[in-house]
Amino acid sequence: MKSSSTAAMKPMKSTNRQEKLFQWFVGIILTIGGILMLIPFFWMVLSSLKHESELMKLPLTIFPSSPTLENFTKLFENMNFAVYLKNTLIIVFFSFIGLFLNAAAGFGFAKYDFKGRDSLFYIVLATMMIPGQVTMIPVYLILNMMNLTNTMIGIVLPGLVGAFGIFLFRQFMSTIPNELLEATRLDGASEFRLFVQIILPLTKPILAVQGILTFIAGWNSFLWPLIIANDEKLYTLSVGLSLLKGQYGGNYALQMAGSAFMIIPVIIIFIIFQKHIIENYTISGMK
Amino acid sequence: MKGSVNRAPYYFIAPTLILLTIFSLLPIFVALFISFTNMDLVGLADYSNIKFVGLKNYINVLADPIFLKSIGNTLFYVIIGVPLVIVCSLGVALMINFGKARIFKAFRVIFYMPAVTNVVAVAVVWGYMYNTKFGLFNYILESIHLPAVPWLTHPVWAKLSLILLAVWRAIGLNMIIFIAALQGIPKSYYEAAQLDGASNWKQLTSITLPMLRFAIFFVSITTMIGWLQFFEEPFIMTQGKPLDSTTSVALFIYRNGFQLSNFGYAAAGSFVLFFAIIIITLIQFKFQNKDTDL
Amino acid sequence: MKRKTMALVLSSLMLVMAALTGCSSSNKDSSESAGGSDKQVTLNVWGMGEEAKSLPKIAEDFEKENPNIKIKVQALPWDTAHDKLLTAVASKQGPDVLQLGTTWVPEFGSAKALMDIAPMLDQYPELKPDNFYPGSINTTKFDGATIGVPWYVDTRVLYYRTDILQSVGYNEAPKTWDELKDAATKLKARGGDKYGISLDTKEQSLAFMFARQNGSKLLDGNKPLFNEAPFVEAVDYLNGFFKEELAPIDLGMDIIPAFRDDAITPMFISGPWMVKIINDQAPELEGKWATAVLPKKENNISALGGSNLTVFQYTKHKDEAMKFLAYMSKPETQLKWMELTNSLPAAKEAWNSDVLKNNKNYKVFGDQMEHSEPMPMIKPYEALSQKFLSTFEQIYRANANVQDEMNKYNKEAEDILNNK
Repeated sequence: MKSSSTAAMKPMKSTNRQEKLFQWFVGIILTIGGILMLIPFFWMVLSSLKHESELMKLPLTIFPSSPTLENFTKLFENMNFAVYLKNTLIIVFFSFIGLFLNAAAGFGFAKYDFKGRDSLFYIVLATMMIPGQVTMIPVYLILNMMNLTNTMIGIVLPGLVGAFGIFLFRQFMSTIPNELLEATRLDGASEFRLFVQIILPLTKPILAVQGILTFIAGWNSFLWPLIIANDEKLYTLSVGLSLLKGQYGGNYALQMAGSAFMIIPVIIIFIIFQKHIIENYTISGMK
Repeated sequence: MKGSVNRAPYYFIAPTLILLTIFSLLPIFVALFISFTNMDLVGLADYSNIKFVGLKNYINVLADPIFLKSIGNTLFYVIIGVPLVIVCSLGVALMINFGKARIFKAFRVIFYMPAVTNVVAVAVVWGYMYNTKFGLFNYILESIHLPAVPWLTHPVWAKLSLILLAVWRAIGLNMIIFIAALQGIPKSYYEAAQLDGASNWKQLTSITLPMLRFAIFFVSITTMIGWLQFFEEPFIMTQGKPLDSTTSVALFIYRNGFQLSNFGYAAAGSFVLFFAIIIITLIQFKFQNKDTDL
Repeated sequence: MKRKTMALVLSSLMLVMAALTGCSSSNKDSSESAGGSDKQVTLNVWGMGEEAKSLPKIAEDFEKENPNIKIKVQALPWDTAHDKLLTAVASKQGPDVLQLGTTWVPEFGSAKALMDIAPMLDQYPELKPDNFYPGSINTTKFDGATIGVPWYVDTRVLYYRTDILQSVGYNEAPKTWDELKDAATKLKARGGDKYGISLDTKEQSLAFMFARQNGSKLLDGNKPLFNEAPFVEAVDYLNGFFKEELAPIDLGMDIIPAFRDDAITPMFISGPWMVKIINDQAPELEGKWATAVLPKKENNISALGGSNLTVFQYTKHKDEAMKFLAYMSKPETQLKWMELTNSLPAAKEAWNSDVLKNNKNYKVFGDQMEHSEPMPMIKPYEALSQKFLSTFEQIYRANANVQDEMNKYNKEAEDILNNK
């Protein structure tokens, strides 16, 4: 993989033989890497189609000897699926509001000079540096004081904004030339319109990246929903899945089916969003 | 008009700052307070049982051989893991961006897929692949007549195996950040360079890498913090074995805090980690400030 | 303009939040408002893991008997149940009835998070201590209080492959420590990558259990006895299995794949849950495996585990909760629970039923129950046992001297027990 960094990256204007050969070379390296990346994933999907007894057999079989969907049927029978899905989607929806707030804060830090900017930004970063396990109980007690335990809002609020997102937005918005903003200001646009109409479209790739991350985080949210909820009505899909596990293990095939099931929507979302990361767009007015 | 520009940044950052203050900063101060107490489950149930112990937790934790060992392990993870993640994800991003054929779009999805897998599920799979006797990796090694490797049972190999798993999971996310950044580089730069007859290598070093400095900086900071808080992989794959050689600081904190309910002790450990992370990050920022005008 | 938009966005956000809080707080458990005993009462019950899913089926009958009580079950995943309980203790907002693994009793008992039900025991004949195995009753005692009532139990027994042990001359399971070692040695001699027995090095109770079999009392009040002969000998005995490669250190395999076919490890020690797992994952082994009570040294005391049902200290429905506990302790209910989840009943009388008497495996568990003790019911048990596991690892993996390591461990245990 190291060799790649010595590789150049933008095609020359003419497609000569050497260039083509190089394209093939890169393609082959990526293919080999890609296969390695995918092995565990294939394993998971194939395992979810196996019977529990086949999964625990040696030598390992790669393809299921008698493929079955029984794990998936069991999955749906065992889970209060509609409720979990609804909660998960609510959390995903709110995390997108958080995404907007993160972007706004990133913009504030990147493109304005104001008193205390740097120290405030360092404080934001500092919140990223303490392991979540330590602050969990204090956060819970704060929510409890606000009477927000056992509510959807209590599940959503603590994770709504995050230093990682703010940092990412700030980092990329810094690269937007100031002249662009000044020009728009001269046209009489308000600061908020500037943000929504000029900045957000320019940061489309990063919005897409963050959007995917936000979706995944919301989709997989696990510990908070469990801790805040005193009612299974507020459980999410991940919590439901973790219930499939017995005290002493077992149910591997069922868990594999559950994991496969959780991952497929994420991949679909990613395929949709990644177009936006990659689409070649030209920034007008940017040199 | 001018006045509103002056106030504008505060409106942009206010909602986020308020939320962060309530749900991140305040809890950090509470945890700091806890680190000077003997808080355990009894104290949690009834605050009147909490006693101040001063610096005792800090003194004990810094003398705890397992804590010191976990610091060493964590440094090992950081020193090997961070450069590996950056090189791999940047390399993959450059290669994917370089490719012109449609198939390269598919690679984005493929390389990203590990990042969305559930760590518990993949741990089962990797556990089998790492199995010394029956695993895939040793099977391959044997078929090309190389000696078997004690993947998860030798103190150093176990650390490396966990790093391999974590890198596999981390490439996807950082790769899309790099791809997004690469897409932000105006095409006109390359066109101008090509007119001047610059080679591919020259374009890479004089246009691409400098233009990626914000992204590289971001990825290195967040990756560093991520590795300093390395937790899931050792927790699920090895539980710190063998001989505590894979125990990370975060795993140490978790064990003491959540399994043994020694909240004060765990909080002290995490503030040691917290300050270490802050110092390392500040050093990185200093370097960044020297290189570029941040 | 900008400020207005900002304000609009913010206020609409707040509105949505308020709406959400409002609607979710309205369905907050009705139990808080209910007071009198004739009123409809909702009892919140927290159960653990997959088996809690079966609780509502049992609760249905209870609701029929007590039309004014509704049972609401919340299942917690095993992995995160401890975290969830911590926060419940911290906020004093939890369930009314709580399932608690026996090893957690001292910890949550010391936090006074669970009600002492001793004063109410007279009212409920089903909850009389005599109804349960004495070992089980010990798991409900902490600091002079009676915390909950045994619900289901488990105990460790020896699982072995009958056909393979027969092939090395054992028509029955090994009955003593010496026989166990001998059988393992002979099984090892089968050659190839085979071993004699699988000993779970992550299992906290394993060495403590063997030490008890060798006559160690483990603790004398606050004084640990880990560096004394009975304990050290037991560690030495276990270590022998690893040193002579009769038991694998890093097989990296689950129990079942190593137990099936030619059986890499034809013996292992585990609890009743393995019966179902073997039947599910290796149905072809039917008739080729059996269970047996543990081999004995001075005795063959096994480690007793399981779960108790406890009443949360801050419940507002004490009487209803006790009624539920009593119902769950009835032999009929316990048998039904066993049918649903394969967990062994804690009530002695249930063991007289034909189902349990006629099943070979259950009979073994019943016999072993007579010789089972819980791990020491002390708050720092978890810390002690974790420390032991890493000490033991030094012994079997890094070849440290057994007596030296146990002296060191004993010192650490003293610190832990006396709070440093």
